[in-house]
Amino acid sequence: MLQFPPWKVALVLLTLAWGVVMALPNVANMDNAPGFMPKKGVNLGLDLQGGVYLMMEINPDEVIANRLEVFAGDVRSALSNVAPSERIGHLPEISGRQLEIKLTRPDAEGNFPMDEALSRIRKLNSNVEGAIGGAKTYEIEALGTDRILVTVPAASEEALMKDALGKTMTIVRRRVDPDGVSEIAITPQGNDRIILEAPGEPDPQRLKDLLSRDGKMTFNLVDNSPSAITSAQAGVPRAGYRLLEGPTTGPLLVRNIPEVTGADIANAAQGFDEGNRPQINFRLNSNGARKFYDTTRNNSGKLFAIVLDDVIMSAPRINEPIPGGNVRITGDFTQEEAQDLAAIIEAGEMPAKVQFLDQRTVSATLGHDSIRAGTRASMIGLALVAIFMIIAYGLMGGFAVGSLAANIVLILGALSGLGATLTLPGIAGIILTIGMAVDANVLVFERIREEQRNGRSPLTAVQAGYERAFSTILDANVTTLIAAIILYLLGSGPVKGFAVTLAIGIVTSVFTAFVVTRWFTVMWLKTFRPKKLAV
Amino acid sequence: MLLKLWPQQTNVSFMSARLIGAVISSLLIASSVFFLATRGLNFGVDFAGGTVMELEQTDTITVEAVRSAMPLNADVNSAVGTDARSIVVVKYGEADASVLGDEFQALPPAEQAERATGATNELVTSTLKDALGITDEQILRNDSVGPKVSQELFRDGITALVAALVLMLIYIWFRFEWQFSVGAVAALAHDVIITLGVFAFLQMEFNLTTIAALLTIIGYSMNDTVVVFDRVREEKRKYKKMPDKEVINLALNGTLSRTLLTSGTTLLALLAIFFLGGPVLRGMSFALIWGVLIGTYSSIFIASTIVLALGMDLTKKPVEDVPGFQG
Repeated sequence: MLQFPPWKVALVLLTLAWGVVMALPNVANMDNAPGFMPKKGVNLGLDLQGGVYLMMEINPDEVIANRLEVFAGDVRSALSNVAPSERIGHLPEISGRQLEIKLTRPDAEGNFPMDEALSRIRKLNSNVEGAIGGAKTYEIEALGTDRILVTVPAASEEALMKDALGKTMTIVRRRVDPDGVSEIAITPQGNDRIILEAPGEPDPQRLKDLLSRDGKMTFNLVDNSPSAITSAQAGVPRAGYRLLEGPTTGPLLVRNIPEVTGADIANAAQGFDEGNRPQINFRLNSNGARKFYDTTRNNSGKLFAIVLDDVIMSAPRINEPIPGGNVRITGDFTQEEAQDLAAIIEAGEMPAKVQFLDQRTVSATLGHDSIRAGTRASMIGLALVAIFMIIAYGLMGGFAVGSLAANIVLILGALSGLGATLTLPGIAGIILTIGMAVDANVLVFERIREEQRNGRSPLTAVQAGYERAFSTILDANVTTLIAAIILYLLGSGPVKGFAVTLAIGIVTSVFTAFVVTRWFTVMWLKTFRPKKLAV
Repeated sequence: MLLKLWPQQTNVSFMSARLIGAVISSLLIASSVFFLATRGLNFGVDFAGGTVMELEQTDTITVEAVRSAMPLNADVNSAVGTDARSIVVVKYGEADASVLGDEFQALPPAEQAERATGATNELVTSTLKDALGITDEQILRNDSVGPKVSQELFRDGITALVAALVLMLIYIWFRFEWQFSVGAVAALAHDVIITLGVFAFLQMEFNLTTIAALLTIIGYSMNDTVVVFDRVREEKRKYKKMPDKEVINLALNGTLSRTLLTSGTTLLALLAIFFLGGPVLRGMSFALIWGVLIGTYSSIFIASTIVLALGMDLTKKPVEDVPGFQG
């Protein structure tokens, strides 16, 4: 217990030096420091720097319904878009989590081509990604003689949700941070939630507006004959068309099946028109550009509607064939609106709508106030504890205070080095650790006192004190560590920050109390060789 | 210069006073249960759902102005915020669908239920911005939690507390004996129940950070209890013939000055947070201060009393210190 060979001293000093280097950026400007020094201090949580926290959820029912809709489209191609003699008449219907395909044309004997339909539909069924044993995405079964039921089994639902969550996260990222420069953090939680943390953002509304849209973009031909619009307004739209509105176009009759869809858009950006008004420019990929060219060539004189989430953004008249696939939307936008719309269009369509479950906003002002209050509380807490320890244990108390200072440096260093996030409850965790850190010292000092009372010399008393206090210190700190780990696993946001500082604080305080204070004590004992240890 | 107010060796017969402790604790637990049943806990938005907003108080943004501009019933109060800033605190639940507009009413009922909290917040925020000219920076805080998440947060909080208790039980069982782990966990449950009782009695806001504080209390109280138990085991090994009651008294007295010193330093640090850390941390630091006091008391009077009542038999299991450790 009393031996400190040079390698051990070196290890202690190295640890402390690491703590100092890591903690330095928190108190000093490191811009001009040499390259190997860390430049960044501890990450501040949203409650300390201000910003917006949003928890979103995607609805499994909607994800599945959307996937079944896509599958229904594939089924249509497999059953209907074939040589006329091979066509199988059918009617798909999606209700909740199932797709029912009703066969409509029996043969001369009244039998439905069930076997043929089943085998063609089963060919469309893909394997669940990453599943063992070739589990299929859909369960396809015959119901009676003329109906086929398509459902999603649980294992495949999990894979679909994972896929949808991944896609949604990508889209969220591209919408809120199109240039990839902001510090917005987007993290998944469970299999249906996304947490978005935007430091410095004062207003959650803009983020919510950006994210609550489907982002379904289509280019549809328009029937703008007044008689067709009037009859549609009376409730009888032309077959294959529907009535949509737009802020600049008014009501128009739009063809249901789009000519070009959002999937064909390569990129979109905000730009300016000839009058320097904000507009949205976008470029189609080669497939989209070809379809766009064909449509404009064959439909000269008609209106071509650009529809976003069932709202007509713009409906220019086709004057000539347009090659190249460069398209623009002009309208009555502010620059910010045009930027947001461009981000939404470029990001693409959400696999399912997101719902906002939990939303928290803290202003930068409140964040600064909290940092100030937290720092002041820590300083005063530290000073009080230091005074108390020196009064209670004299010189040994002074050693404890020295190791307490080392403890604070190590906590700050570890938080910065691990990239952990410091929250307001986390500051409380540090202050609590200050109070509790001296516990290990107190346990040892009390033992040393006792051993001295029993007539031992200072050196052997210190030796016995440390030896006998060790298992107590270990037990006592493991239990607190258990509490901290549970907090980390089950807590969220600020509470997680508290758990991290508490856990780091436990480890560093055992190290400083048990190693650093002991080292101070041993050095002092060996240098001055006192007859009696005042403790 | 050393302050030696505390005698070097104490000889308080704690175990003779264990009946008094039992009576006090029973009364405290009974009244805690009573207050929890009658008054209940004052849940914050984390657990109750709804919205809480903090606005910077100015000449135009006053409690009266906010109250008259609010489109629905709300709890509007003035308060002192972090760093002594004057603030207006606005709390509200969900507005009627009729207030939230046609678009909202057109949604299916299940979606309405999920969206009502957020939609109400949007309505209130824009109404207050228009009516009082409030800027984003003057909205110091705007938290709204939907019913789904608030229920989950509550469930997770309770799960965390129970998981912590069970793990402590197992750890102490592993390191000591079952009598000790029963004593320790009974003391922890005692601390948690009485702390909840105090929150119910004072109607202090109970939120996520309070759960964090409760878990820390569990850790702290456990810490205290383990120190005492360690000493009991040591004394029992040293004085094999001594009656359990004497052994426990010896251990409690042997650790008494440590117990009080550690509680003292922790309390000093916590008082600094309570008075200087701002209102966000006040509930948490209050719970921690109370927890340190009750945790210190329970490790002396509850944990040890139960071990005494259950009896201990350390001969069955070889007692070891941590093997293989060498300084």
